[in-house]
Amino acid sequence: IPATILPFPTKHTIKKENKYFCYYFYCGTFLEQIICPNIWDIRAICLSVQQKCVLTNKFYAGFCCQNGRLITAVSNNTVQIHTFPEGAPDGILTRFTMHVNHVTFSRDGTKVAAGSSDFMIKVVEVTDSSKQKTFRGHDAPVLSLSFDPKDIYLASASCDGSVRVWDIADQTCTTSWLLLQKCNDVINAKSICRLAWQPGTGKLLAVPVDKIVELFRRETWDSQFKLSDASITQPLNVVAWSPCGQFLAAGSVDGNIVVWNVETQQCIERMKHEKKYSICGLAWHPKYKQIAYTDTEGNLGLLENIGDAEKPNDKVASAVAKDYNDLFDGDDDDYLNGDAIEPPSSPKTADNEDDADDVVQPLGHVRRAVIDDDDNSLDIGLIKASSSLLEKEDDADDGVGGLSALPPTSTQQPFYDGPMPTPKQKPFQSGSTPVHLMHRFMVWNSVGIIRCYNDEQDNAIDIEFHDTSVHHATHLPNSLSHTMADLSTEAILLACESTEELASKLHCIHFGSWDANKEWTVDMPKDEEIEAICLGQGWAACATNALLVRVFTVGGVQKEIFSLPGPVVSMAGHGEQLMIVYHRGTGFDGDQCLGVQLMELGRKKKQILHGDPLPLTRRSYLVWVGFSAEGTPCYVDSEGIVRMLNRGLGNTWIPVCNTREHCKGKYDHYWVVGIHENPQQLRCIPCKGARFPPTLPRPAVAILSFKLPYCQVTTEKGQMEEQYWRSVVFHNHMDYLSKNGYEFDENAKNLAVKEQQELLMKLFALSCKLEREFRCVELADLMTQNVVNLAIKYASRSRRLNLAQRLSEMAVEKASELAAAQGDEEEEEDFRSRSSARYSSSATEWGRLPGRNVQQEQEMEDAEETDAYEEAEETPEIEQRMKWIHIPACVSSSQKDPVVPSANVLDTMSKYSKKTSSSSSRAVNKQNPPVIKPLTPKPKTKQVMFAVFLTWFQGGKNKKLNFTTKVTAQENTENRRPKTGFQMWLEENRANILTDNPDLNEAEVIKEGMSRFRMLTSEERMVWTEKARGGRVNDSAEDKKRKRPTAEEDEVKKNQEQKSEDTNVSKKSKPLDQSTNNRLSAFAFKQS
Amino acid sequence: MEPAEVEFLAEKELVTIAAQFSLDRIHLIGGDLGPFNPGLPVEVPVWLAINLKQRQKCRLIPPEWMDVGKLEEIRDQERKEDTFTPMPSPYYMELTKLLLNYASDNIPRADEIRTLVKDTWDTRMAKLRLSADSFVRQQEVHAKVDNLTLMEINTTRTFLTQALDHMYKLRTNLQPGESSHSQDF
Repeated sequence: IPATILPFPTKHTIKKENKYFCYYFYCGTFLEQIICPNIWDIRAICLSVQQKCVLTNKFYAGFCCQNGRLITAVSNNTVQIHTFPEGAPDGILTRFTMHVNHVTFSRDGTKVAAGSSDFMIKVVEVTDSSKQKTFRGHDAPVLSLSFDPKDIYLASASCDGSVRVWDIADQTCTTSWLLLQKCNDVINAKSICRLAWQPGTGKLLAVPVDKIVELFRRETWDSQFKLSDASITQPLNVVAWSPCGQFLAAGSVDGNIVVWNVETQQCIERMKHEKKYSICGLAWHPKYKQIAYTDTEGNLGLLENIGDAEKPNDKVASAVAKDYNDLFDGDDDDYLNGDAIEPPSSPKTADNEDDADDVVQPLGHVRRAVIDDDDNSLDIGLIKASSSLLEKEDDADDGVGGLSALPPTSTQQPFYDGPMPTPKQKPFQSGSTPVHLMHRFMVWNSVGIIRCYNDEQDNAIDIEFHDTSVHHATHLPNSLSHTMADLSTEAILLACESTEELASKLHCIHFGSWDANKEWTVDMPKDEEIEAICLGQGWAACATNALLVRVFTVGGVQKEIFSLPGPVVSMAGHGEQLMIVYHRGTGFDGDQCLGVQLMELGRKKKQILHGDPLPLTRRSYLVWVGFSAEGTPCYVDSEGIVRMLNRGLGNTWIPVCNTREHCKGKYDHYWVVGIHENPQQLRCIPCKGARFPPTLPRPAVAILSFKLPYCQVTTEKGQMEEQYWRSVVFHNHMDYLSKNGYEFDENAKNLAVKEQQELLMKLFALSCKLEREFRCVELADLMTQNVVNLAIKYASRSRRLNLAQRLSEMAVEKASELAAAQGDEEEEEDFRSRSSARYSSSATEWGRLPGRNVQQEQEMEDAEETDAYEEAEETPEIEQRMKWIHIPACVSSSQKDPVVPSANVLDTMSKYSKKTSSSSSRAVNKQNPPVIKPLTPKPKTKQVMFAVFLTWFQGGKNKKLNFTTKVTAQENTENRRPKTGFQMWLEENRANILTDNPDLNEAEVIKEGMSRFRMLTSEERMVWTEKARGGRVNDSAEDKKRKRPTAEEDEVKKNQEQKSEDTNVSKKSKPLDQSTNNRLSAFAFKQS
Repeated sequence: MEPAEVEFLAEKELVTIAAQFSLDRIHLIGGDLGPFNPGLPVEVPVWLAINLKQRQKCRLIPPEWMDVGKLEEIRDQERKEDTFTPMPSPYYMELTKLLLNYASDNIPRADEIRTLVKDTWDTRMAKLRLSADSFVRQQEVHAKVDNLTLMEINTTRTFLTQALDHMYKLRTNLQPGESSHSQDF
């Protein structure tokens, strides 16, 4: 029987369920295991150059074997002998200076011919490698070789475009044709041009020449005839004679296989490779009408019933191309364990080779060929992980996902090229490493670690608690070979799959029990397999392949049982909450289609998520499901995106972290073990070059921070927005906890609110600075009442009148909403009476204002604005502004009774600001006098705010009053001028002005009045100021306060005096503060 | 200075441990420590780490340099160079001794590490003796010796300084003797 040549890709695996194909090929720089896949009862198989590998230039090999010897040509330019089928190295046959492109045995197996890229051909005796013959003549790398069946001639094809026939005995070139396209290297050759002699007599030599096969007659060496077919559109790569010499098969680079009857020169068979991969090897069955073929993607296919009269029942079970297994078992060593996803149509019959239905079912792992230059191999998982990555990349290119359409396809049938269904991911336990590992983590969560050892000496489970006070470390024998585990602070839950004798079992070690019996076991019904388990507080649950979820108490009482809509993927428990992720349907193109149920198993049993779709990154799968330590459901997908349930937005999922962003290398991953919301920590284990960590050396936990994927986080705005929303999202759990009657840290909540409001205030300030007033209002909408007041203050200080007005409108609305909410509780109490009672002092001041004309007021303001602007420009950075914004709050609240609920924010804020600002502001005071000014007018501003409420409730003049509010607010904050004094003065002197200049309009009257007022001496002005204030306040502090504004009035004219005055001010402000505080605390007292 | 004193100083170095208990931040004179979360790495001084380890309250996470590969590199470098090479920690010897004595179960390949550090130490001590020897022999008045750790200085300090004193005395005694001798002539 002649050697049948079946070129394979150089490194790959062939796996078949039945006994004929459970062999692996590895070839490359190493050759680990060679066992011949005994496809038929032939003794020899030959693997030769594979184009893809030539391209990578890494694993580059020719392969052939006969008579118990296997010849390989590997990338170190040698031709090696191996024993067959063991694959043990048996010496080097010959060497070249370049890659060997093709090796082939002579018919009797005594000689080997090898053609290399160094233009040489050698023929070597297998038994004695010193007897070699060299054939020189080609001017380019040799592509292919073929021994004449009579061992007289050797045919060769080369990149120089020539096909030569050599006389083996005298090493001369018998003839030469220039047939092929010239190229400079094998890589660039369009076709590898595998030529073949007719078996038996060797009468004809078939050479694939572009799209035709040319046949040359022996001895005369003239072209006998040509075979072609319309279906061939691409160059032919390889030709193969049937053993009888009657038929000739040819394979093309685009995946066509054509068979001709050489006698009649008729095409009897056409077949198209469904994925159009280039055919690089063809071999006929020695007895039957079958052709085996390989393609450059490493698939092995079988073509049957060649040339039968009836429509060929062609079971091309080629190409479970890049199987998507790896997608799921980045952790699962499928090609060693054989749990690959079987194509549905492939018969698993273990029939002998005569069975016509026997289907060769290879798995394409060609791409793995690229990966083993990784030097940091930790374990197989590493290779797997990276290989799956590689595969994914490739998939992204060609868009082919998952299983190929495998319903039996005949040659004529069109191929399905729509979206490919993704194989469903298998159930897993969160925080576990793959089951097939000898040493693995069964679970690593925030409670502890369960490790499983399953090697020759030991089959045991090690349980270790992070907190030794929970329970001491435990070592259990694993006689039932548990594969799933979960751990909580009160129990250990284990589960095993069923064996032939034993049912699937759930085993619980309830170490928290106070009685002596700490363990219980439950058998599942027959044929029901546990697929996922989890523990909550006081309960345990398992999901089975019967689509059932069974709930037990932690003591072993069977409780609820319910059906799942689809096969479970994973489940997690926390407190009363149970989260189950399952397959809702079939995903396509690499996506998974998962659903999630979230239920509460407490007293009020209810379902919160009713099988909603679980959002995953495209082409990813789930790798971790669990709860944060605070009880918010979270999950992680294979792309490293951590998502968390946002209960504040209708139970939607928000991505909170991308662990891949933190990875240094492409193949590094983070293996999540726990999520904490307060403090915000993502606990995970960095895995270098793998998806999961090894058990030894013991991995260390790293902490990642969360980051919401907001836009433009490099800018200050984006950063603060991200911080704000992150803070909001990560404190949602507090609302949930309080709603469900759990205890939680009130303090932490206040801190969170404070943090959020501070961020809003900063954003507000930033928007102000950027002149984005609309945005300011939007931000203010998010603020709490107290902070809105601060914002109003800020706005008015930075002279944004329009903004301040809108904000005060908003504040009023907010207050009314608040009031409405309160009013529901205490209807009988009239808001106005309350507020007026509280803010009587402000009301008195306010009472004078309505009589004024808004226009006038405005004009007056304009006149005064100039120097005020100077002040405003002097005020430094936002930061500093923020500081002094806090100061009034600090002053007011520090004295306030802490029971005042509304003071909370101010309280906390001031605590913060005290530290940061009060000390520094003092320093600032001296160098930058304007900054201190806001210290004192604070109570006034407050009054203004309260007055706003009042006026709103007075109705009617509403709008106008608001406007004046704004103006006064501005006055108060910007100019420490004796406005009330001026007002009074103006009222009294208006008549005088009008008599002097009767033609003045209102605005001009004000202007005139102002200039006149300024001409008054400071004493006179003080009198007026006193008048204005005298009725209201009598205490000494107010006296001083009165003094101060007048002093500052002078400042306008006498800049020289400013310094001394300012020092006065800072001195005086102390007693003033105290008195103010007294008043404020009195306020607070009234309020409460 | 006693070696015990040097060791005491070394105990102030920070190492990482994974606590097996839960405790809030603790405030000590030397600074705040913690908070301690079960399973999470936290930096503590060596004295606390050892104390906790002895009470089985923590797992030690060995310092980065306490790794066979890195130490081999250091040792080879030390052997290659004529001068002293910088050590990964100013207390490498003390830390190795302390940590390997009390927490060898948490340090992979503890024995090899011990040997490697000892090798490095021996090399350095040999260098030190050699340089001291040449220093004395050539009667130099000063020498620059970089990258010595406290413990290393400590081993040679007493002896070397005393020896130099003695030699100085001898020399000064010798010279007046000589001069007087010459005067005698």
